[in-house]
Amino acid sequence: MESKSALLEARNVSKTFDNTVKALDGVNIVVHENEILSVVGENGAGKSTLMKILVGVHQPEKGELYYNGQKIRFPKNPLEALKLGISIVYQERGVIPHLKVYQFLLLGLEEKFTRFGRLQLKKIFDVSKSVFEELGINVSLNTFMYELPLSTQKMIEIARSILSIRLTVGNGGPSDITPIIILDEPTAPLSLEERNGLFHYIQNIKKNNSFIFVSHIIPEVMRFSDRIYVLRDGKVVAHHDLSSAEVTEDLLFREIVGRVSYYDLYSKYRYGVAEREGKGVILSVKKMSKKGYFQDISFDLYEGECIGLFGPSGCGKSEVAKSLFGVIHSDHEEIYVGGSKIKPKTAPYVRIKKGVGYFSGDTGKELFIHWPVYKNLSIVNFEKIIKKAIKLVSIINFKAEKELSEKIVKKLRIRTPSVQAECHSLSGGNKQKVSVGKWLEKSPRILILEDPTIGIDVGAREDIYEVLLEMKRNGISMILVSDDPKEYVILCDKIIMMSEGRIQKVYSNEEFRKVMEA
Amino acid sequence: MSREFSLQQTKFVLGYARRLVRGNPALWAIIGLMLIFSAIVPDKFLSTSNLIAILRNFAVTSMLAVGPTFVILLGSIDLSYMGIWMFGGALVWLAYPYLGLFSIFLYPIFGLLVGLFNGIVYVKAKIPSFILTLAMTAVLAFLTTYVRNISGVLTLTVPAYDFLRVSPVPYIPSPFLLAIPTIVLAIFVMFFTKLGTYISAIGSNEEGAKLAGINVARYKILAFMTSGFFVGLGSIAIFVHLGNQTRVDFDPSELIRGLAAIVLGGTPLAGGLGGPHRTLLGAMVYVLIFNGLFLLPGVDPNHLKLYIGTLLLGAVIIASKALKGALIA
Repeated sequence: MESKSALLEARNVSKTFDNTVKALDGVNIVVHENEILSVVGENGAGKSTLMKILVGVHQPEKGELYYNGQKIRFPKNPLEALKLGISIVYQERGVIPHLKVYQFLLLGLEEKFTRFGRLQLKKIFDVSKSVFEELGINVSLNTFMYELPLSTQKMIEIARSILSIRLTVGNGGPSDITPIIILDEPTAPLSLEERNGLFHYIQNIKKNNSFIFVSHIIPEVMRFSDRIYVLRDGKVVAHHDLSSAEVTEDLLFREIVGRVSYYDLYSKYRYGVAEREGKGVILSVKKMSKKGYFQDISFDLYEGECIGLFGPSGCGKSEVAKSLFGVIHSDHEEIYVGGSKIKPKTAPYVRIKKGVGYFSGDTGKELFIHWPVYKNLSIVNFEKIIKKAIKLVSIINFKAEKELSEKIVKKLRIRTPSVQAECHSLSGGNKQKVSVGKWLEKSPRILILEDPTIGIDVGAREDIYEVLLEMKRNGISMILVSDDPKEYVILCDKIIMMSEGRIQKVYSNEEFRKVMEA
Repeated sequence: MSREFSLQQTKFVLGYARRLVRGNPALWAIIGLMLIFSAIVPDKFLSTSNLIAILRNFAVTSMLAVGPTFVILLGSIDLSYMGIWMFGGALVWLAYPYLGLFSIFLYPIFGLLVGLFNGIVYVKAKIPSFILTLAMTAVLAFLTTYVRNISGVLTLTVPAYDFLRVSPVPYIPSPFLLAIPTIVLAIFVMFFTKLGTYISAIGSNEEGAKLAGINVARYKILAFMTSGFFVGLGSIAIFVHLGNQTRVDFDPSELIRGLAAIVLGGTPLAGGLGGPHRTLLGAMVYVLIFNGLFLLPGVDPNHLKLYIGTLLLGAVIIASKALKGALIA
């Protein structure tokens, strides 16, 4: 079946963290010469761990590695990986904006170009130019990085990886080794056109290189890869060779998330869908647009209703959510909260006063990690814990503050020694509960949820769902953005399907379940 | 029953004391320095006049530093205290013929206005606070010298305030008494008000503060105003300490003094942790080092600033290392 020869093969790779969490469990993966190989899976499926093993950041407990059919040991550090021709372009590591292109290209490699303590600029320029020519990058070496579009910056990062491999094994010219470049979610910060540009570039240069493309954006993976591995819970659950077999997006999607009975989920959590009849519109969004991210978003949210914005990463759903809260600003929007208009560019604190709340599962962003639990819970509830309200130096009523936070802690069953405990000592799930708990007593009219349960275990997830559903039963409307379709089934009454920044279709919960089960 | 109760109380007090010491490494430094100097030069260090001098210097140092602590909590820096202190005194001197004894209240008002200006420029024009407030001090220091020069006097003294120099409490110098309201008020603002909470929220996690609905720009300006106000109020104590006059020539070591007290106390320059209570401890550490070294045999007073500078450098490095642990108050 495999016509091409295997360049790199990892067999039976297993890795356990902290003696309990099995990140990888007997994974087999083959990389061929000159291909784009995709590794897809949900957050926590083991993609990053596998890549980190290949570049020598982690060591596996079990497994063998073959290079051109020869058994070798796993790289012990990134330098050993470079010698094998393996390099990684991280998602966030990014570029240093104030360096010139050639400075960035050779960052960390200067010693190869130094003679008597002086940089040999001519040699640097020669090598860089020939690499750029070979890879088809049309950029002056004297440009500053920040002047370039993000996609070009990514291309230069890729060129830098190739160059560092070559300089590690040779003198910088093309060598016998085929570089294997791992791209860790390379498109995350890019707009749609930039993504296409980057992929055409990668396809153009794949004749001399191999790429491992780590992603969870299905349409991109489908369009640009030669083969796909699907990882789930640390195992390879599927392998597709796109040159020989047809794969549909739906199939891939279901392989990624696994088999779930959506009906069971639904009936476990739901006690009837919120009815619109007799309820008022609490949020009306008309023609919201932000260039490069989303266009013409319009919908109505009713009292006590939850609307989900669903679609692949990069479809603009999280940007819509952030714009609704004013964290980022849309170019054009007409938003009415309970009938009163909110101007674009209104800051979050004004929106909160109008009754909009925002909760994201990213506790690092939300919490004051060195503060005690009670202060984190009271920060949005100040009007409830103030003794005397002289506008600026309102005096805190400590008793009320303590009572308020103890009430929330009890209600959410937050596991903490006391409300005095500092937040960083809590487990991930409990941190998330503190983060969502602060809205419990505030009772906003609308709560915007962005990945509310990201990175926490199943038990803690269920607790968070319970809390959110109770808030919903109490009449709080919600907008959900998440990567997990299960969450939409549990929480939402209406699901707005988005794609490439536009609304495609609106499903009811039932229709959505049917689509997912199909 | 009553025994159980007292046991619980003891536990509570002990627990509180432990947290106090753990959270404030400067306390150890204070105890250590006092022990060392009492052991080496007991008769000089523990003499009444020296202890009074320590209290006086503590008042001056803490009054310079308590205000700017609020801005450092934000993660910014406010060096305008030197300017507020100097030119505020000049304003008092200028206004005395018109306002009489009330002119001393120009100090906090002027501080508040300088803080307002700093805050607005910092937030709206996004100028680094270090440069902005240093320039502010430079301008105000120059103006003070200028006022002195054109008035044809040597010092800007207002003798009418002489009554403030007499302390009603034996052994306690009046600048120290005058500093107490500022200290109490600053700690009150820090721990008991929304303002203090919001300022440290912004310093601890600006994004989180924004998401929690804090008007970040407004509270940044308010932090600068708080700083200016407390410096102005505290400058009254320094004014009295110097003999009812203000400083008319700029001395960079006075500028370092305030900053040193803040950092030695354990409010990291990155913001988010600490507060005026720590700055008080830091001020005490600074004063003890200065005072003790002065008394040591074989230490040339002319070289004192060099020693202090070197010691400070070391102390700041150690303090910043120690704070990387989980020392939070």
